Amino acid sequence: MNGSAEKLAQALAAIAGEANTSGDPHEIGKYAIHGVTPKALVRPANAEEIAEILRMCAAEKLGVVTRGAGTKIGMGGSPERYDVALVTTRLEQVHGYDPGDLTLSVEAGAHMADVSKLLGEHGQFLPLSVPYQKRATIGGTVASGVDSPLRQGYGSARDFLLGAEFVTGDGTRAKSGGRVVKNVAGYDLHKLFIGSLGTLGVLTKINFKTFPVAEADGGFLASFREETGAIDFVRRIAQSAVAPATLEILSPAMAALLGGQTDLGGMGMDSEGWRAASAGWAVIAGFGGSKKVLRRFETDLGGMASESGAAQAISLDGGTNRSVAERLREAIPLLLDASPATTVVRASVLPSRMGEIFAASRRSGEKHGIRVAIVARGVGIVYTAFLPETSEEKIFERLAAAASEVVTAAEAAQGFGWIPWCPDGLKRRALIWGSGRPDAALMRKLKLVFDPQAILSPGRFFGGI
Amino acid sequence: MLTKEEELRLYEYDGSVETGRPDCVVFPGNKSEVAEIARLVNRYAVPMVGRGAGTGLSGGALAREGGVQVVFSRMNRILAVDYENQRAVVEPGVVNLELSRAVARAGLQYAPDPSSQKSCTIGGNVSENAGGPHTLRYGVTTNHILGLEVVMPDGETYRIGGAAVDAPGYDLVGLFVGSEGTLGLVVEITAKLTRLPESVKTLLAVFETTDDATETVAALTARGITPAACEMMDGWTIRVVESWIHAGLPTDAGAILLIEVDGPKEAAEEQAEAVVETCRAHKAREVRTAKDEREREALWKARKNAFGAVGRVAPDCYVQDGVIPRTRLPETLRRIAEIGKRHGFEVGNIFHAGDGNLHPMLCFDHREPGTFERAMAAASEIIALCVEMGGSITGEHGVGMEKDRLMPLLFSEADLELMKRVRGALNPAGLLNPGKLFPASKSCGEIRAPAMGRGPNELGEGVRGVTQR
Amino acid sequence: MAVEAKGMMRAMAGEAERAEYGDFARCVHCGLCLNHCPTYRLWGREADSPRGRIRQMFLVDSGEMAMDSTFVTHIDRCLDCRACETACPSGVEYGKLVELARGRIEKEYRRKGMARLGRDLFYRRLLPYPKRMAALGGLMRLVQQSGLQKMARSAGLLKLMRVDKRADLLPEIDRKFFSTETTRTFPARSARRARVAFFAGCVARMTFSALSEATIRVLRANGCEVVVPEGQWCCGALEVHAGYRDVAREMARRNFDVFLADEAGFDAIVTNAAGCGSTMKEYGLLFATDPEEHKRAKRFEGMLKDVTEFLDELGLTAPMRHVQMRATYQDSCHLLHGQKVREAPRRLIRAVEGVELVEMELSDQCCGSAGVYNVTQTETAMALLKRKMECVNATAAQTILTANPGCLLQLRAGAELAGKGQEVLHVVELLDRAIGPERP
Repeated sequence: MNGSAEKLAQALAAIAGEANTSGDPHEIGKYAIHGVTPKALVRPANAEEIAEILRMCAAEKLGVVTRGAGTKIGMGGSPERYDVALVTTRLEQVHGYDPGDLTLSVEAGAHMADVSKLLGEHGQFLPLSVPYQKRATIGGTVASGVDSPLRQGYGSARDFLLGAEFVTGDGTRAKSGGRVVKNVAGYDLHKLFIGSLGTLGVLTKINFKTFPVAEADGGFLASFREETGAIDFVRRIAQSAVAPATLEILSPAMAALLGGQTDLGGMGMDSEGWRAASAGWAVIAGFGGSKKVLRRFETDLGGMASESGAAQAISLDGGTNRSVAERLREAIPLLLDASPATTVVRASVLPSRMGEIFAASRRSGEKHGIRVAIVARGVGIVYTAFLPETSEEKIFERLAAAASEVVTAAEAAQGFGWIPWCPDGLKRRALIWGSGRPDAALMRKLKLVFDPQAILSPGRFFGGI
Repeated sequence: MLTKEEELRLYEYDGSVETGRPDCVVFPGNKSEVAEIARLVNRYAVPMVGRGAGTGLSGGALAREGGVQVVFSRMNRILAVDYENQRAVVEPGVVNLELSRAVARAGLQYAPDPSSQKSCTIGGNVSENAGGPHTLRYGVTTNHILGLEVVMPDGETYRIGGAAVDAPGYDLVGLFVGSEGTLGLVVEITAKLTRLPESVKTLLAVFETTDDATETVAALTARGITPAACEMMDGWTIRVVESWIHAGLPTDAGAILLIEVDGPKEAAEEQAEAVVETCRAHKAREVRTAKDEREREALWKARKNAFGAVGRVAPDCYVQDGVIPRTRLPETLRRIAEIGKRHGFEVGNIFHAGDGNLHPMLCFDHREPGTFERAMAAASEIIALCVEMGGSITGEHGVGMEKDRLMPLLFSEADLELMKRVRGALNPAGLLNPGKLFPASKSCGEIRAPAMGRGPNELGEGVRGVTQR
Repeated sequence: MAVEAKGMMRAMAGEAERAEYGDFARCVHCGLCLNHCPTYRLWGREADSPRGRIRQMFLVDSGEMAMDSTFVTHIDRCLDCRACETACPSGVEYGKLVELARGRIEKEYRRKGMARLGRDLFYRRLLPYPKRMAALGGLMRLVQQSGLQKMARSAGLLKLMRVDKRADLLPEIDRKFFSTETTRTFPARSARRARVAFFAGCVARMTFSALSEATIRVLRANGCEVVVPEGQWCCGALEVHAGYRDVAREMARRNFDVFLADEAGFDAIVTNAAGCGSTMKEYGLLFATDPEEHKRAKRFEGMLKDVTEFLDELGLTAPMRHVQMRATYQDSCHLLHGQKVREAPRRLIRAVEGVELVEMELSDQCCGSAGVYNVTQTETAMALLKRKMECVNATAAQTILTANPGCLLQLRAGAELAGKGQEVLHVVELLDRAIGPERP
């Protein structure tokens, strides 16, 4: 530990206490991002301490990266300056949960799992079925902007985030929105925090709308020889009365991964069913409602699947549906574990143009000799994972080219493409934020308002922010 | 372009009780004209305020500090409808209901349905983040807007968001929707369209007391029943509305709930049953289901025209807009009645109960000395009560000119300062819709426009040139 | 009482009648009317919207704004279709306000020379006098029949006179005027169910004899004894709309004398012109200051029925034949918005077997006829007609049904100019066709 690091740790300890501060190289090593190690880490107890820490860091122009459980810390660019790892896990209280009003106010460091458990006790849930569910924090989930299969039926965080409290880069405590389900007072600054990767401020408290758990649930799985059949099925569903909560398309490789290499990995579904599904492009729909509604949906989906030329189509009972949903929820970690250098492109396009992204992904995979797995959501989001066998340097060039090609294809399809996950070595080579857009200029202006000294996760975000 | 006094006076009002007269009114025909106007206005440093149909209820579209009023009524084209992907691209002057009407044949709708939907424009809806009865299930405007094209105060045009979801970067669309025209002029909108439900059931539950009705709302919410809409009308309002609209409302009731459930046929039926059951359990004296589309329309007509109908009982009617947690409904309504009584008013209530979005109404005649002041005092107390209950000062009408002074009830100085700095970042000279949203402060030194006739005649000529081309 | 006294004093002083503060204050400027106003839909200007016009009228009334040409232009441009009244949740009586404002304009505003002379000539010297109108009609018929019109048009003369479009909108004059039929009593053709007085109108007598005859046939076939009382003339609607309230009052008084005569014993006064009906149902507004006359006006109002409304209430009993037809219905503004009659004509249409009624979009929007609007504001009327015909054409109907002579004319011109040659009929003409020729 050098002198300045020691002094920094001391200063932080003066704010958050010795026990919650560390400059120990061994410990802070665990907080490295893309190989960049901070000088110190601090676990503040509350918003006041965070404000004090940020005021100090702003005065000293020290780079600060906020994290919860760190499950998604690999997303985004490498920090240009990284002096302090600010860990929010001590802010874990539920401040207000009003089941009768279907609203929840919770501190940012609270764990998704704990919150889910609490809501479950009241027959409610938060439609953020995000990866790393067991470890992830609420704050990290919002700040990383990861979406979940449930967005088909419930939208993304921006649709049920009611308000937030936060500390900006100059150490000011502020808030926006509120705790009621309808509110138009003031600017919706909290929406800016979704997916901002900690570049605007440190979220301290987050207010959500919660939702009642359906009386019963079920699922439906159809597999198609060609991707066109799968896309057609999804299109038919969008134009029907069937309202699925989740609607996912899996490429054959993805279906195989999800089912496990050899058997079903406890999917609760018979092996034949899964093998049939993973033989082609699979579409999995999950839905909730009364028994009667579920039966209706199953019938309608069966009809639409055969009209779309499904090779196989089966209904999933509640238990199977839930275990399938759990695996789908963890699709990203599964992909990240499937290769030493997994690179995931996230394309969002109009649903009718998903096929173009599928085709571009396959083309790039073939051209560069890299295995590809795809999982897409019915609303028009395609995750293309390139899964090279090796993480050796020599693969990087091809990997970067392949991923960037898919990003470009998304943009050519009048959509958006970026690369949320890739090996550290690729961060500077590939179009991790896409080819850029003019409105980044507006974003940079906003960044300056929230973080005038640019101390928060500098260089990690879109538009060079 | 209009500059004559008598013409300008027709733009000094909107649907609210506020006024603000522009110095000049322009009607751009397309987005490049808007950009040119913005550049001119910026050069001469006069305020600029957008306006759709002028149906707003908080003075958001009024030129509080004069300047150029940019009226979007000519930019009213539906530019594209993508039926397969359920998207529409529209100009800001498109009337809300006209979009729904245009896509209805394909089984689609534009879901946000403010009461003024027959006249209000989507551009105005975007600026105010408009709500409506069916937002309980379908969400407010911001949940349906995917992309915008905005002209910034310096005349630069940006596309934010897009036809696809999840543009990387900050959610600028989320910031702009509901920013009340203080950050940019919206010149093009990409909106989501929603499938029309397969089945709709509209129920009318009649209660002896408002308490029974509000407790029913809380019980519905707690049971996890999410109707498409859940509206409440108290006895006083029922009698006023019925005397004009003749929808067959029970004039001897203490309160009614208008509840609509929709979805697939089976789901709507089951939900309707659950609603009936819950209403009965909370002492509903009667629960009627609209038998056909005509009965359904009659019930909604009573609801959607209620505020106007109240306008018949007194020359002035001040409609408030506050939000509270739904669990606090019974208590809040009781206390609102007390506040009214203390100031000598009978307070009418007709509101989006399912969202906890209250609309207490104070009726008075401003020519009677002192009544205006008393009405304003009562209204302020009601709003303070909403905040005390853990709610908000506005659920859908916006802050505008009406509630700028009330913002500190909800937000700290630091919160407001940050919001002002956000405004300052995108609207640096404060030319766009000045004097709105934030309480006036001495430091602001807001710009007052020189009258168009006297001062920058070149500006007048320039603006005229843009729109006459 | 205070209000009436004030009005009386104004009337005595020769001042124009005025709206009261309360009439204006009902408008809460919510703007719900805007998109229902045909002229706002065309131009998107507040000044040509109901809300904006109310504001202007209020400002002029309260002396804050001058009654200048700008004001008069915007008030002139109003169709007085009253679609805004249907849309208004606050019950603003817009028709009354605009008619009062027009009354003031005629009294207090000096229009430009030719316009003033023309208006005065028509409203004061021609319209009130049956013989003069008949002479004018005869002259016009001569022009139309002699081929002079065609010649004039080809010579560009009409264009030069800026009336070529208007000529299409003017009624064709009948050979035999309906006036020869007045004073007759037509017995019911089945057991008598009602004794009704038929209001024959003024211009309609010269141009819509066939419609009037059809109306009488349909009434008789449905068990009505129909009387066409002598001495009746114009309802005064055109005068009210134009602001000639004194002339209109004279017309109304004449109608009171004719139709309310003690020995007449009518169950109802029936008209087939929605525009006339709407004014006659509001005669009370013309006599706000005199309690005695007001009472008579109210009695008249109570007896006045639109023919569709009357037949719908009475119930159709005449046997009707199958009529194969795909039709659409255009609401006449003064029936729908003025009299709030929407369903009656539709029910009558549906009562005819074989008629497929296809609703058009925006059937509640004015076609541009609006009394003499298509002649005074031709360009606007034509723009509205074009939009109307787009909606009509989209229904693929071969027949356009409506309930007012003015609309018939306008829509016939529309079918020619921007339509697909659709047939245009009054609802009673459809019924007449279904009932078939009278058997001796």
